[in-house]
Amino acid sequence: METLISWAIDVALALLVVSLAWRALASTDLFKAIVLFIAFGLVLTLVWVRLNATDVALAEAAIGAGVTGALLLAAYAKLRATSPDAIVDRAGGISGIGAISLLILILLVAAALGYAVWTLPSDYTGLGKEVAANLDQSGVSNPVTAVLLNFRGYDTLLEIMVLLLALLGAWSLGITIPRPEAAPGLVLDTLSRLLVPLLILVAAYLLWVGAHAPGGAFQAGAVLAAAGVLMLLSGRELPAALATWPLRLALVLGPATFLMLAVITLILEGRVLKLSPEWAGRLILIIETTATISIGVTLTALFMGAPPGEEDR
Amino acid sequence: MQTLLFTLVLFLILNLGVGMWRVLRGPTTADRMLAAQLLGTTAVAILLLLAEATGSAALRDVALVLALLATVTAVAFVRRTLPYSENANDDE
Repeated sequence: METLISWAIDVALALLVVSLAWRALASTDLFKAIVLFIAFGLVLTLVWVRLNATDVALAEAAIGAGVTGALLLAAYAKLRATSPDAIVDRAGGISGIGAISLLILILLVAAALGYAVWTLPSDYTGLGKEVAANLDQSGVSNPVTAVLLNFRGYDTLLEIMVLLLALLGAWSLGITIPRPEAAPGLVLDTLSRLLVPLLILVAAYLLWVGAHAPGGAFQAGAVLAAAGVLMLLSGRELPAALATWPLRLALVLGPATFLMLAVITLILEGRVLKLSPEWAGRLILIIETTATISIGVTLTALFMGAPPGEEDR
Repeated sequence: MQTLLFTLVLFLILNLGVGMWRVLRGPTTADRMLAAQLLGTTAVAILLLLAEATGSAALRDVALVLALLATVTAVAFVRRTLPYSENANDDE
């Protein structure tokens, strides 16, 4: 009975996630597509949970369903205010030849992916065993954190760089998000006063718990960004004194620390980001703490749009 | 007990489907956004039930993050999107 219900849960989730994805892509109404995308993020979180990937579920909950949703809603408001035509014109389809070549391209990609999966060795068990065997060398006891920050640290280094690049791109476009809002009401003001400290506390908790359970810098950074976004939405501006170099310092703190560590380990150990076992735990905590701050500030700055102080340009 | 918890999870997942119908139906932007909030609350409930059923405490953290961030999405909608969508006629 129980296996039958488990099976039904998985089938229902799979159907739901595919239909949400399809509806979000096929919708001609941009706002509907955004809400469907948020719903898609929620269901995807549940899918990751069912696949026993709690770390990914946590990241999806924080980034996919939360921060991205707020970013898309703000972008929609900006589009509505500046170029309403862009929203209406989305229904304009592709011409016949375009559609056929697109279909061929998609089929080719699908065939290539199918071939790649088909040729995978069937008795391959993945790298899970090797990670488990070397876990006590990594400085943490959560295998996902061990892989992300120690065994394949350079992947995470590049991911953090990508986030910074995204912000630089947004800044160089000079995007200004319109601020039509009136002064926040009593409810919103009280909510932000209660929720912002709680969000910061949860971010710190996720950062700390990442060493031995699902959690880590990206999840914590996204929750920290939620606190920043909530402050912006309830009418609190970044003080002018902090908008100059302190903001930039917070943005590069994580990437710079990570990069410096990469250079130091290259000189001392002979390999980029080779963390010696007795120091690994502390180094990972330093990287994750600085990365959390930078990720949180970067995502908040993305929500702001233009660099503060230059909004009127 | 396990069977009961999993049955409830299945029931709530079917509810997600109903919520999706409301998102598609609309008709106003606020209807769609509220339906998304309903989906968020339902997902939190599902996660808490699964945490109890499978004994995995980390799922409560996921539920906590989901509950906290759903609020931020709702506030972003009210403060940013809603001022522009009063005169929006949703084409169904």
